[in-house]
Amino acid sequence: MRRMVGRARRSEPEMVEQEELDGWFCREVLPLERSLTHFVRRNWRVQDDVMDLTHDIYERAYSGARNGLPSSTRHYLFAVARNHLINRARRERIVSFELVADLEAIGGGDRVFTADSQLNARDTLRHVQAGMEKLTPRVREIVWLRKVEGFNVQETADRLGIGKDAVNRQLMLGMKALADHILGGSGKIVRRRYSAQRERSSEE
Amino acid sequence: MTRWDETRDRAARWILASEEPEWSSADQASLDLWLAEATMHRVAYLRLQQSWRQAGRLRALQDGRSIAVEPVSEDKAAKLFDTDRHRAHTRFRSRAFAWAPIAAAASLLIMIGAGLLALSWPGMRSAPVATAEFETAMGARRIVGLPDGSKVELNTASLVRTAVGKARREVWLDRGEAYFEVAHDRLHPFVIHAGGRQITVLGTKFSIRCDGDRVTVSVLEGRVRVDDVEDGRAIRSTIMNGGDVAMSRGSSTLVRTKSGEQIKNEFAWREGMLHFEQQALSDVLAEFNRYNARKLKVADPAVGTIRIGGMFPASKPRAFANLLRDAYGLKIEESGETIRISE
Repeated sequence: MRRMVGRARRSEPEMVEQEELDGWFCREVLPLERSLTHFVRRNWRVQDDVMDLTHDIYERAYSGARNGLPSSTRHYLFAVARNHLINRARRERIVSFELVADLEAIGGGDRVFTADSQLNARDTLRHVQAGMEKLTPRVREIVWLRKVEGFNVQETADRLGIGKDAVNRQLMLGMKALADHILGGSGKIVRRRYSAQRERSSEE
Repeated sequence: MTRWDETRDRAARWILASEEPEWSSADQASLDLWLAEATMHRVAYLRLQQSWRQAGRLRALQDGRSIAVEPVSEDKAAKLFDTDRHRAHTRFRSRAFAWAPIAAAASLLIMIGAGLLALSWPGMRSAPVATAEFETAMGARRIVGLPDGSKVELNTASLVRTAVGKARREVWLDRGEAYFEVAHDRLHPFVIHAGGRQITVLGTKFSIRCDGDRVTVSVLEGRVRVDDVEDGRAIRSTIMNGGDVAMSRGSSTLVRTKSGEQIKNEFAWREGMLHFEQQALSDVLAEFNRYNARKLKVADPAVGTIRIGGMFPASKPRAFANLLRDAYGLKIEESGETIRISE
């Protein structure tokens, strides 16, 4: 059903409305993140790059869809992913064998990634809870106060006796880690490491 | 910090700010402007907003419509903190679980190894040191447990002889490549003989590879001493630490220190993978040919100089050739057991 609507939209020549595009991105693209990061991880040897590559692919997919929403979001997203990885790999002259092998599997149809089904409300809650458990106790507490108790930044800061900046910083960490978990990535809080990444890129 | 880290942070800040009571229509206008500025802003924002909204479902836990995942107590925040202990427990359990098959496989192999010793030398049961020989065919890998608790993993086309017991621990790597995990024993150094070199350790993880007269030692953990031996006497010694790779040929030894990630790549073969860092295609093909009867060859020397990096399965030369065709536009031609690569 959804696909038919998509096809009808595609024939329209004009640009897709912003709101429609945002809705499409949240409804159809983001739920594929688990498959997408899995695909990127399998095909890219620097694991620290996975999140950035995933975002690059979102950026390209979103831009490309301005001219018309694709009839199959999944095929479209993975085609964008494939091209992006190949281009990056060519530029860096590093190509993994699996990149090529995997792409054939994707062409093979939707069956490969049936795992991203729509979660019902109960599953989503369970999933969010599991994401909360991965946070550090401090971040978890602050996210809890915000999302469940409905405290704003000032109230949270007062209650915990810390500054507003600290509250915001913890909320940012929590928000990003929850996004990674809920949408399918690792969901660990990432505190930046400068050294490893830098060294590697300067060598390559 | 990558450009995306920065964008994600800014998007997160916008979302937090927009939930604050003092958020004004002017603020909203600046946010709209920021979102319109670049697609990367928009996708990062949408992604975080989407999951942040979903996190709002946690509120269901507050007003009794809870699901039976976890009981909700009076102080919910405190309740969630309790799960830390539970988490540590699961983490431990999952790690133990992950190691279980490996441990089982290792102990099985130790049993097989012991069986082999008993079969080959039925009269030597009481002897302090039993000797044994282990060999792998091309493309094969094999893990062998030694009587002292050490472990040897043989790579493709390799031959190892061992004389390991309570009083003496000695191994000869006659051909190929092997990874060693040596059980710690201060009193009895573990000595390996490989192509004119003698490698001495007390307890550590490392690999040795012989290619003709060239010996390469890669140390994953601990300390290793490499001696240049002439007429049974060590004439030169090199001490290596974790992360070091020593390449010896004739009287010279070159030691390089690699980063944690790089040194792990030296051991990729243990997972059946080959790892290359911008190496010439001709060297890369020679590596593949160590593992397979189906040989890869370059048709002209110029093609052999192309630099290749990446991680590839050792047992799939055909797939690697296909990759060269698809990614580099090279021609591949197959006849019998040979795959020729040309421009």
